[in-house]
Amino acid sequence: MQATQVQPVLTRVSFPALDMLRSERNLVGVHIASALIALTVGIFMGPFQSFHRAPAFVNTFLGQIPVFSYYYQAVTVHGVMLALFFTTLFIVGFSYYVVQRSLQRQIKGIQLAWVAYALMLIGLAMLVFTLANDVQRSAVLYTFYPPMIAPAIFYIGLVLLVVGSWIAAFLVFWTYNAWRKEHPGERVPLAVFAIIVNYLMWFISSLGVAIEVLFMLLPASLGWIQTTDPQMARVLFWFFGHPLVYFWLIPAYVSWYTMLPKQAGGRLFSDPLARMAFIMLLLFSIPVGVHHLYADPGVSQVAKFVHAFLTFTVTVPSFMTAFNIGASLEIASRNNGGRGFWGFIFKQRWNDPVVASQLVGMLLFLAGGVTGLMQASAQINITVHNTSWVPGHFHTTLGGAVTMTFFGILYWLLPLLRGRALFSKKVALGQAFTWLVGMVIFGFTMGEAGLNGAPRRADLANSPYMTPEAGLWLNGAAIGGIILFVSVVLLFINLIGTLFFSTKPVEGEAPIQTKVEVASPAIFERWRLWIAIVVVLCVIAWGPVFVEALDFTNGFTAIPYTTSGAPLR
Amino acid sequence: MHIDRYERYWLMAVVATLGAFFAALVATLVVFGVSLPSPAGRVNPQNLAASEFAEPSVRNIGGNRYEAHIVAKMWQFDAGPEAGSPPTIRVPAGSEVTFYVTSKDILHGFQIQFHTVNMEVVPGQVSQATVKFGRPGVYEIVCNQYCGAGHAVMYGQVIVQ
Repeated sequence: MQATQVQPVLTRVSFPALDMLRSERNLVGVHIASALIALTVGIFMGPFQSFHRAPAFVNTFLGQIPVFSYYYQAVTVHGVMLALFFTTLFIVGFSYYVVQRSLQRQIKGIQLAWVAYALMLIGLAMLVFTLANDVQRSAVLYTFYPPMIAPAIFYIGLVLLVVGSWIAAFLVFWTYNAWRKEHPGERVPLAVFAIIVNYLMWFISSLGVAIEVLFMLLPASLGWIQTTDPQMARVLFWFFGHPLVYFWLIPAYVSWYTMLPKQAGGRLFSDPLARMAFIMLLLFSIPVGVHHLYADPGVSQVAKFVHAFLTFTVTVPSFMTAFNIGASLEIASRNNGGRGFWGFIFKQRWNDPVVASQLVGMLLFLAGGVTGLMQASAQINITVHNTSWVPGHFHTTLGGAVTMTFFGILYWLLPLLRGRALFSKKVALGQAFTWLVGMVIFGFTMGEAGLNGAPRRADLANSPYMTPEAGLWLNGAAIGGIILFVSVVLLFINLIGTLFFSTKPVEGEAPIQTKVEVASPAIFERWRLWIAIVVVLCVIAWGPVFVEALDFTNGFTAIPYTTSGAPLR
Repeated sequence: MHIDRYERYWLMAVVATLGAFFAALVATLVVFGVSLPSPAGRVNPQNLAASEFAEPSVRNIGGNRYEAHIVAKMWQFDAGPEAGSPPTIRVPAGSEVTFYVTSKDILHGFQIQFHTVNMEVVPGQVSQATVKFGRPGVYEIVCNQYCGAGHAVMYGQVIVQ
């Protein structure tokens, strides 16, 4: 065997700082481009939803708010395209790039990577088709809780997306294994370490939603089964749903830990503690999902408090990140001439859109972290559950920390992929700061509206139960929406400008670390051990919840319905 | 593994704060009795006629205590003929009402504005919450879980006299 095997030339390919390998540019480029397509489809639905819910806007325009006619279609498009497709496609592409560059070798099984991409692209096309074509029946939102059932193509598209991401995960593990064999005793670069953590967590947690879709929703949609179990579906969904938010967040942390220190002009404060934070995220991001089920009748109070405790635990790695990144930014600032006790906070490279975008993301994450802890506090959750407080919160985390960091990455990655400089730094800075202002207003006003009784995900324009206070705050949210709309336009000016109109050559280099300077304990890379602990924690924290949700007496009796109120058949 | 002195302090402060927060949650539960919805029974959503939800109603069960059985369906709350549609539940100030809510079709929500009642309403499950209405006023009951085209007009009222 050994004799016949051709030594792969690709492993010895030189990885220049700026020029990209053609294969790399193509593979990463198509993922980023497809992510941007999903972004384009989904993002404009955001501001217009806030207009649709604001009494002042609806009255002024006599209910004729353009862009979409059916509110719940807009919510579904916004959630599915941004939270599922934009994030996943971006993360898969970004992960390929980081792994290849950090390990300085091409991804293993690159043909399979193209198969995975094709699956995800077909999935995207299926979802765009059904959301546009079958407006009422597809409007099941991105949480798609049964007994509301969407057309089968909705679920098949999502299955293709997840299967594609599984293949991508497998290819990264394969590449890491190959690197590991050639580099015994060495530590893998931090960025690759974090991406392995992310894909491990993603794979384990997505098994929950895979079971839900493959054995409950898709068969019901195809008419193979006539009934469903709504409580069990919610349990399965949220087994996956909380790790999902860390799947978005960890790539942002990769940028903060391994790229931002260099971009900001310093170095990372502590590599080993970063690894410890990622391991904690791997262990504790799955056994916390019941905090989304605090208001559910089918989950016991004991499980709710166990998960509340573990939710507080999973904030620890984020507090560690806050310290580590804060210290790294201080190092950068002192290098840049920052003086005094507080001076380092302000002496940052605010005029560099790559740095500024990420700092904006962090500022929003302060609000997101605090509101997240409040929601995790079991009884406080009862005052905000399913109110507009919740989207107020996650627009500062997903829509703040994650999105602005991804945009910050786009501001250097897109020029590299295109081979041209960023179209305009000023427009990019304008985008980042309008996003900060818009999202602060949006998050705050949505929170206040929620506390005044406005539910989330409701076409409130004609609601009989709207309090005047909630109406005022929702008008405020629409003002946030206007500012965010401006921000989105600025983003697209830059994206289109960079892709088609930029003439200057790209400058600078990719902020990728290839060497590990500070050794960390070897135990961090004992993956089998960590996976075993994850499994044990899941069995302890989720086992009783599953057993309780399984309804032995009269389960599986709710029949599937469509969104228009008719039984599916 | 080296951990910086200041980071050690930081982590100790974080753990202490989170510990205090969690202790507060447990105290709220054990000392003040503010609990989360928990399993209160199951019903067959296709045969509610054979269950306690056969005739939805709001009943006085002695003194200032009331019991309400409510069926949520697309897109209304059914609290019996007396309450009407959309239902208006009238109770005197100081009443303690226990709500039992279930769904006949899909997921719904049951939230009473400005009170600690906020539950998912799941077909097959009974959601239960007890609340004391202290101040007179009109409080909206809102379906806060997406339930299709008519979701935003699914509501009721509690009038505390």
